[in-house]
Amino acid sequence: MNSPDKSDNFLAVIQAHKGILYKIAHAYCKDTEDRKDLVQEIIVQLWKSFDKYSPTYKYSTWIYRIALNVAISFYRRESRRKSVDSPLSDSALNMTDHSLPHDTTENIVFLQQFISELKELDKALMLLYLEEKSYQEIADIIGISVSNVSTKISRIKAALKQKFTHLKT
Amino acid sequence: MEDAEMIHLWKAYDKRLEEYLSFNRQNAADITHMKVQSALASMTPLKIFAVMAGIIWVILVDSILIHTFRSASFFFLASAGIQVLLTKLAIGIYLYQLILIQRVNINAPILETQEKLCQLRSSTLWCARLLFLQLPLWTTFYWNQSMLYNGNVWLYLLQAVVTGAFTWAAIWLFVNIRYENRDKKWFRLIFSGKEWNPVIRAMELLQQVTAYR
Repeated sequence: MNSPDKSDNFLAVIQAHKGILYKIAHAYCKDTEDRKDLVQEIIVQLWKSFDKYSPTYKYSTWIYRIALNVAISFYRRESRRKSVDSPLSDSALNMTDHSLPHDTTENIVFLQQFISELKELDKALMLLYLEEKSYQEIADIIGISVSNVSTKISRIKAALKQKFTHLKT
Repeated sequence: MEDAEMIHLWKAYDKRLEEYLSFNRQNAADITHMKVQSALASMTPLKIFAVMAGIIWVILVDSILIHTFRSASFFFLASAGIQVLLTKLAIGIYLYQLILIQRVNINAPILETQEKLCQLRSSTLWCARLLFLQLPLWTTFYWNQSMLYNGNVWLYLLQAVVTGAFTWAAIWLFVNIRYENRDKKWFRLIFSGKEWNPVIRAMELLQQVTAYR
């Protein structure tokens, strides 16, 4: 594959899965600038790994693996990336309208907040669950057994439900 | 809130993203053209430098030890010998870290990758333990037979107190520099600062990884 083709193909894949990048950045970073940096870091790592992509897995599985690995490691970095030759002023992803549907606004905000409060690995598991990935696919991405996925998801869901119940009382 | 409700909420969020999230293709294309090193790869030159500097130091001290074996004092030989042994162990840790850096695969399942990254970061704490273990050696290497036979009681006393305190501190720190003590005041005092925060957080994550297994 020549370079322009490879680049076009890569950008098409990222464009088709841009929501994944946004949701992961939102779940793992509170600060807007950090989110921008994280999205940039994920795109860099995806691009560097693009040649190693195996069609055995769906693009979304490949993106989730790399994006979650980067996001989990990212928060432990000492400071923002300094090695970028020419830091970009704009983000690769932009929300043109930040408002949410009125009937669900409050609950979505709380769900996002509760997810962001989870531990790193639980957060990854919950994101994949909400994306309606099969337990087998979640097991492949996280690297644990299917039964372990089931047990852990039940536990996290129970904790989230309890938080929502506390909200109502 | 039921499972279906949670999924429904997420789908509403997803729909919103689908409608209003724009992808800056030019910006993403620019990212692919940037010459960037991964955070991991950028660690490699520094570790290689540390290994090279360590090897030079070991060769230097070993040469001095060999050449002065018959003439140098027992205190110098023992102190330098133990110090160089600890340096060799530290070089071993750096080599282990270099191997781990090569083995980290960002494409691999999350637990596998994170476990290697955490092991890599938390092994840095071992270097600190070895560094502290060298403390008493810096209080003994200058001693010789003349000082031993001609010194007065105050010199012996001062030396015993200083070396004893350094030995006690070195052993105590070697034993107690552990993740379990991360919340203790003395631990936070020694390991405060930007360079240690990722190490401590890596150890926290390592516990999560272990719990997931």
